[in-house]
Amino acid sequence: MPVESGTCIIETAGLTKRYGDICALAPLDLQVSEGEWLTVMGHSGSGKSTLLNLLGGLDRPTAGRLLVGGEDLLAFSEDHLARFRREAVGIIFQQHHLIPYLTALENVMMAQYFHSVPDQAEARQALERVGLGKRLANRPGELSGGEQQRVCIARAIINSPKLLLGDELTGNLDHKSTRLVMELLKELHEEEHFTLVLVTHNQEVAGWGGRTLFMDDGKLVKDLRHERKGDDPS
Amino acid sequence: MSRRRWFFHVVIRSLAHRKGGTLLLVTVLAMASSLVTSLGIVSFSMEKKVAEEIRRYGANLVIVADSAGVEVGSGGMNFGRVAESAYLDQGQVQRALLQEPAAGRDLSFHLRGALKLWGDTVAVDGVVFPQIRRLSPWWRIQGTWPDANGALIGSDLALRRSIKPGDALSLSGPAGGMVVRVTGIVSTGGEADRLVFLDLLALQKALGLQGQLTAVKILAAATGEDLRRLAGNLQKLLGGAQVKEVRQVAATSESLLKKVQLLMLLVAAVVVTACGASVAATMSSSVLERGREIGLIKAMGASRRAVLLLFTAESVLLGIIGGVAGYGAGYAIALLVTKTVFATAAEFLPAFFPAAVVVSCFLALVGSTGPLIAVYRLDPVRSLRGE
Repeated sequence: MPVESGTCIIETAGLTKRYGDICALAPLDLQVSEGEWLTVMGHSGSGKSTLLNLLGGLDRPTAGRLLVGGEDLLAFSEDHLARFRREAVGIIFQQHHLIPYLTALENVMMAQYFHSVPDQAEARQALERVGLGKRLANRPGELSGGEQQRVCIARAIINSPKLLLGDELTGNLDHKSTRLVMELLKELHEEEHFTLVLVTHNQEVAGWGGRTLFMDDGKLVKDLRHERKGDDPS
Repeated sequence: MSRRRWFFHVVIRSLAHRKGGTLLLVTVLAMASSLVTSLGIVSFSMEKKVAEEIRRYGANLVIVADSAGVEVGSGGMNFGRVAESAYLDQGQVQRALLQEPAAGRDLSFHLRGALKLWGDTVAVDGVVFPQIRRLSPWWRIQGTWPDANGALIGSDLALRRSIKPGDALSLSGPAGGMVVRVTGIVSTGGEADRLVFLDLLALQKALGLQGQLTAVKILAAATGEDLRRLAGNLQKLLGGAQVKEVRQVAATSESLLKKVQLLMLLVAAVVVTACGASVAATMSSSVLERGREIGLIKAMGASRRAVLLLFTAESVLLGIIGGVAGYGAGYAIALLVTKTVFATAAEFLPAFFPAAVVVSCFLALVGSTGPLIAVYRLDPVRSLRGE
C-alpha cells in the first residue's frame, strides 16, 4: 500500500455506518497523521469499534469517504480489501484470537503466510522482541492472558504494517500486564513509526497516546490532543 | 518454510487438533467407500463366478443345416431336436465365422453319423478334439484326451460294450473303415455318454462327407441383445443354415445377476447419500465451531479464495484418508462375503483403490459444499464477535 511519509494516513469525510435503522457511526470527519498514536474512547455502543473495523478494512461504510494511505477503501473489491488488510494493517484483539492448534511461533508465521512467505527466524525474532523467546513452542492454552496478548502483538507487527489497530487490547489484562503491554507498544511505536489507533475504555491506556477521540452514541464528541504520559503513566 | 509446506502443515495440524470430528468424518467416509469397494469387488467376483458357471452350460449358439437332425444340449441338459438330416458346408461356415469375430474361438465342429462296430450300428460324432475339450470343460474323462488317431467312448456305450481305455475299435462306414484306439471314457450326464467321438476328418472320410458338418457349437463371449445380434448376423451369412440360441438357463442366471447388481447399486447409492448428509452435517458443525478462526484468518488478510482452499484441502485430505481406510475395510468385507456366500476367494482388484478414494473425496467435497459456501461468505467482524 502506498503510504507517503509525513502525510495524513487516515482521512474520512462524512464516514457513516448504519445497521438498518441503527446509526452505529454518525458522519465523521477525521484526519490522522502518519506515525500518530490515537486513542478512541467511549462507552459500549459508542461506535468506537465500528470506526476501528472501518479503518481496518474489516467492514464497509454505509456512506462517506474513507482514505487510508491515499487509497479509497470504498472502491476496493473484497479481494483488494483482503490485500489491504494483509499488507497495510495489523490488528490486536481484546480476546487475542489466536489459533488454538498452532504454537505461539506458528501463530505469528500464519500472518506471514497470508502476507508472503512464512519465515521462522523472523517470527522467532518478533516473539523475542515481545519477550516471549522462551514460549515459542507453547500453544495459546498454555500461555497467560498477557502472554497471549504479546503473541497477538508480535503477529500484528510481523509484516511491518503502516497502521496498527488495537481493540480493547488490555480489556482482559490486570494492571501489571496492562502496563507491560503498553510499554511494549510504546517501544515498538518509537522503533517502527507505525500509526497506532487504540480503542479502549481505560483512561490509563488513553494516556499513552498523544491524541484522544471521545465518542458517544456514534458521534465524535471531543478530539483532544495532549502530552504523552508514556514515560510514567502511573 | 515454503508456502506449500506451510499450507499442508496447517491443514494437518488443524485436523489433528479436532480429533473427534476428524475421526467421525474419516469413519463416515471410510464406511461409504468401503461399501462401494466391497460391493464392487463382490459384484465383480459374482459376475466372474456366474460367467464360469454359465460357461459350464456349454455353447450358447448352435448352427445346423436347415433340415439337419441334431440334438442340442450340453452339461446334462437336452434342449431338444433342432431339425432333420442335412449338412453344412464347412468352408462356408469357416468363412462366415471369420467375418464375425464376435463369435470368438470357443467353438466346435460336429459331424454326426453312424458306423458299424462289431456288426452293430453305433452313433458317432466327428469332432476336433482340442475344440471340444475347450468348449466342454465339465466333461469327466477317464483316461486321456485322444489325438487324431484316437477315440473317446461315452460311458454308457463303454459299459454296454465293455470297452476300456486302450482297446482298439474297428469301425466301418459307407466310404471306408478305420481302426482307432480308445484313450478315454467320457461322462457328461447327457447324450454324449452314448456316442463314440472320433476325429472329424477321419469320420468325414469314412462317411464320404468330406467338408460336411451337421452342426457347429459356439460359446460366444456375448449375452442378451449382443448374442441375438451375433446370431442374426451369422444367419444372414449362412443362407442354408439355422443359427439358434440355446442359453435359457444362462439367460436366467444373467438376468438374476443383473438384478442383484442393481440391488447392490441401489443400496450403495442410499448409503453413500446418507454418508454425504452426515458429512455435510459434521462439516457444518465444524464451520460453526471455527467461525472465529475463519474470521481471524480473514481479518489477517486471507482472501476468500485462500480460506476456501484451506478448508477444501482439509476435506480432500479427509477424503483421501477415508478412501484408503475404506478400500482396506471394503476388501476385507468382500473377502468375507465371497468366502461365506459364494465359497470362493474375492478378486484382488487394485482398480477399486482409486475408485474408493475418488468416492470418498467426492463425498467429502459434496458434503462440504454448503459449509464451504458459508466459509466463503463469512463476515469477519460478525464471526470475531462470535455471532
